[in-house]
Amino acid sequence: MAQLISIDPVTRIEGHLRIDVEVENGVVKDAWSSGTMFRGIEMLLKGKHPFDAQQVTERICGVCPLVHGTAASYNLDDALGVELPDNARIIRNLCLGANFIQSHILHFYHLAALDYVDVTAVAKYTGNDPALAALRDKIAALAKAGDVYPFLPRYESDDYVSDPELAAILVNHYVQALEMRKKAQEMLSIFYGRMPSFVGTVPGGVTVHPTVSNIAAFRARLNELRVWIDNVYIQDILTVAGVSAYAPFLTAGDSGGNYLAYGGFDQDSKGAEKFLPRGFITGNNVAAVGELDEDKITESVKYSWYKDEGDWLHPREGMTEPDVHKEGAYSFLKAPRYDGKPMEVGPMARMLVLAGLELSGKRKEKKLMPLIEKLGLASAVDACVQAGKFGILPRHAMRALECKLLADEMDKWLDELKPGEKIWDKKDIPGEAYGRGMVEGPRGALGHWIHIKNKVIDNYQCIVPTTWNAAPRDKNGNRGPIETALIGLPVPDPENPINVVRCVRSFDPCLACAIHVIHPEHNGVKEFRVV
Amino acid sequence: MEKKGVTRRQFLKYAGATAALLGLSESLIPQIAQALEELSSGKPPVLWIQGQNCTGCSVSFLNTNYPMAAEIVLDKLSVRYHPTVMAAAGDKAFGVLEETAKELAGKYVLVVEGPVPTAEGGEYCTFGLEKETVSFNGYQRRKDKPMTAWMEELVPGAAAVVALGNCASFGGIPAANASVTGTKAVQEIVKEIAKDKPVINIGGCPAHPDWFVGTVLDYLINKRVPELDRHNRPKMFFGKLIHENCERRAAFDAGLFLEDWNDDNPDMKLCLFKLGCKGPVTYADCPTRRWNSGVNWCVGANAPCHGCAEPSFYKDLSPLYEPLPEVHFAGLTPMVDTLGWIGAAATAVGIGAHYLYKQLGKKEPEGGES
Ligand code: SF4
Ligand code: SF4
Repeated sequence: MAQLISIDPVTRIEGHLRIDVEVENGVVKDAWSSGTMFRGIEMLLKGKHPFDAQQVTERICGVCPLVHGTAASYNLDDALGVELPDNARIIRNLCLGANFIQSHILHFYHLAALDYVDVTAVAKYTGNDPALAALRDKIAALAKAGDVYPFLPRYESDDYVSDPELAAILVNHYVQALEMRKKAQEMLSIFYGRMPSFVGTVPGGVTVHPTVSNIAAFRARLNELRVWIDNVYIQDILTVAGVSAYAPFLTAGDSGGNYLAYGGFDQDSKGAEKFLPRGFITGNNVAAVGELDEDKITESVKYSWYKDEGDWLHPREGMTEPDVHKEGAYSFLKAPRYDGKPMEVGPMARMLVLAGLELSGKRKEKKLMPLIEKLGLASAVDACVQAGKFGILPRHAMRALECKLLADEMDKWLDELKPGEKIWDKKDIPGEAYGRGMVEGPRGALGHWIHIKNKVIDNYQCIVPTTWNAAPRDKNGNRGPIETALIGLPVPDPENPINVVRCVRSFDPCLACAIHVIHPEHNGVKEFRVV
Repeated sequence: MEKKGVTRRQFLKYAGATAALLGLSESLIPQIAQALEELSSGKPPVLWIQGQNCTGCSVSFLNTNYPMAAEIVLDKLSVRYHPTVMAAAGDKAFGVLEETAKELAGKYVLVVEGPVPTAEGGEYCTFGLEKETVSFNGYQRRKDKPMTAWMEELVPGAAAVVALGNCASFGGIPAANASVTGTKAVQEIVKEIAKDKPVINIGGCPAHPDWFVGTVLDYLINKRVPELDRHNRPKMFFGKLIHENCERRAAFDAGLFLEDWNDDNPDMKLCLFKLGCKGPVTYADCPTRRWNSGVNWCVGANAPCHGCAEPSFYKDLSPLYEPLPEVHFAGLTPMVDTLGWIGAAATAVGIGAHYLYKQLGKKEPEGGES
């Protein structure tokens, strides 16, 4: 008999998410993803000085303030007609890259790893590595005191990595990773003042000049991180992916085969060449990457707690009026769609778009495919292509590969900085203008749109990565990517739906980002656009 | 302690770092070491819940150095509930909240990140499930439990409540929509539930990890709430104006202001007042403490202080990149250019802030002795 399992809160993500799954014969038959917290950030900006947008939108998310601040900067640059100096473009790329590194490390070790590794097994470690022995003693002491918070309680499962040696190594890396991501935050701080909530970009450029000493400080940390990414992060991913019990996750957890990337890391002042390319894929047809048409983005609110008048509109003319009592609605998230289709965004989308362009020869310089070869992942990728499915493991692996590609490339960008040259293109705020900033964040495609009128902000809106991934159903009944990915996953024990949270966390959802609209009437705003 | 693999020397070094963090005299190191030693044996339970937050304060906490995040979470405190790091999910997770509230009443520290929306019966922020059910796609599903209900359940048994970050402390950005979501600062909610329950506000958007860790350590070592200012912020961190200790104060006094980010003046970094610096009205120790392991801070990155630690942030400090309004000192009406001269002449820096606030027509925040 079918049964409904509600998981609330889904922890080790950012924000408030509830997942309901219908399970029949030990397998997920249907799924619903619900965002359960509502704030309201864009509308604060109405009537405000356009420069404020960066500082305010950063506060949408404390995990990714950098991405919002960066999108806001590009958005304003566009509206003001800025010609971004090379130094500013490169510093923005370097800081965005440093944020990818900190976010990807944080995600794998601190948000995801506890779904795969049995921390309690560490207590049985018998080897004589002093660091691991110290860790064993610590865990054993905690267990003896009956206080293994926050590692226990947890969902029980018989497929956790429980070899004491391996578990000890992985848990030790969990602790190391805390220090590594802290170093990545320090890299950001060098150019951007502090993290989270940085101050170093402004419309038109950045605030800090590159100097011999700040470049060296940044590079020293980058080098340390690159060594660690190669020797620890990538190796741990390969290790976990190689655990035979996890083999089904190669294809299980596929989101439906549609992927979208806005592209990021401009390589020239026009943004024509991007390190991570833009494009979209449908039906898991990786070799056929389509060219993005921004007009094909719409949002549905049929199953969201907003009034129906706002259904299926392009974000430019979108509207949002909350209706918490709406019949049939189950989420504060809207359902963005591209050409009517749900789209997965994030590292997997970006890497598949990149792979598609490399494979079809549209991208001359190949970086990803040789790396996949080198790491011995080619047959796994082939298996996914054959099955027409990319599941939970590829999502983690692509994140790590992206982290390495970026970290290696950043070293070259540092060489291109020119101390003493311009960092800012000063432009006056126009009476009226439209702008848009589309970038990639660690979690995927992020867009900001602005309308300036009478030199102040008249309208500001964002569509964020998690709104794409954790979206509810749309007016045509299409499920969002996470909802689709959950269907078919095994849940042998309804008390311990570990595979459900494994799948959800592989998307690295970030809910604070996804829900940031407010009620227009109470704020005296006639028209506004959305999530 | 030796048994745990920590030598006396290491421990004293560690106590020294803690003393530095709290800004305490080195002569107190033996006492701190003793208190920390006691702490390691009986770890105080912490419940860390999130309301209308962005998780920035949790991420900032992970940047702590003395002690490191892993040490705090494993050795110093018993962090039973923290949604971003804990292994458990769903009922296994929120069950811990219910159990701890019952079993350890009066003993746990409640950390709240993000403010609390109260409109529509609390529907704007929920986590965990109630006993009652609602119908959902043909099933009976347990109802979402609002943050307000959790506050009612967890506040009475808390030994102390820590409101972490500006939005938990003062409402911050989400409270700007209070007309819709009914968002309230944590202290207002606590007042309604348990009038005399101490609430410590740790401002900052986000809060600096030292401000949080230092406050918790101070509380554990001295077993009392630290001295607070009138906004319930610990004076040891929020007692002085940014402007008072700013490395660019000499430029301010000399009337040398940055107006174009392309101007690079390595010899004397220019003051950021004209680009909107709110340092003259903001109480926090950023200039001396700095951020991210002391690597940098806002003004250090050639960017103005936005006043993120003030109760008036963000709404009343906008526009962020415009100078504070012209100030009028004792009958004079100087332009910003001469403000440096006035500042230099004023004996107490606090007076400057006082006048600025008067001119802004706003209530003075008074972080410390002004
Ligand atoms: S106005 Fe700002 S930059 Fe200038 S001295 Fe004061 S705090 Fe420092
Ligand atoms: S310098 Fe100002 S804006 Fe920066 S962290 Fe300190 S209080 Fe906040």
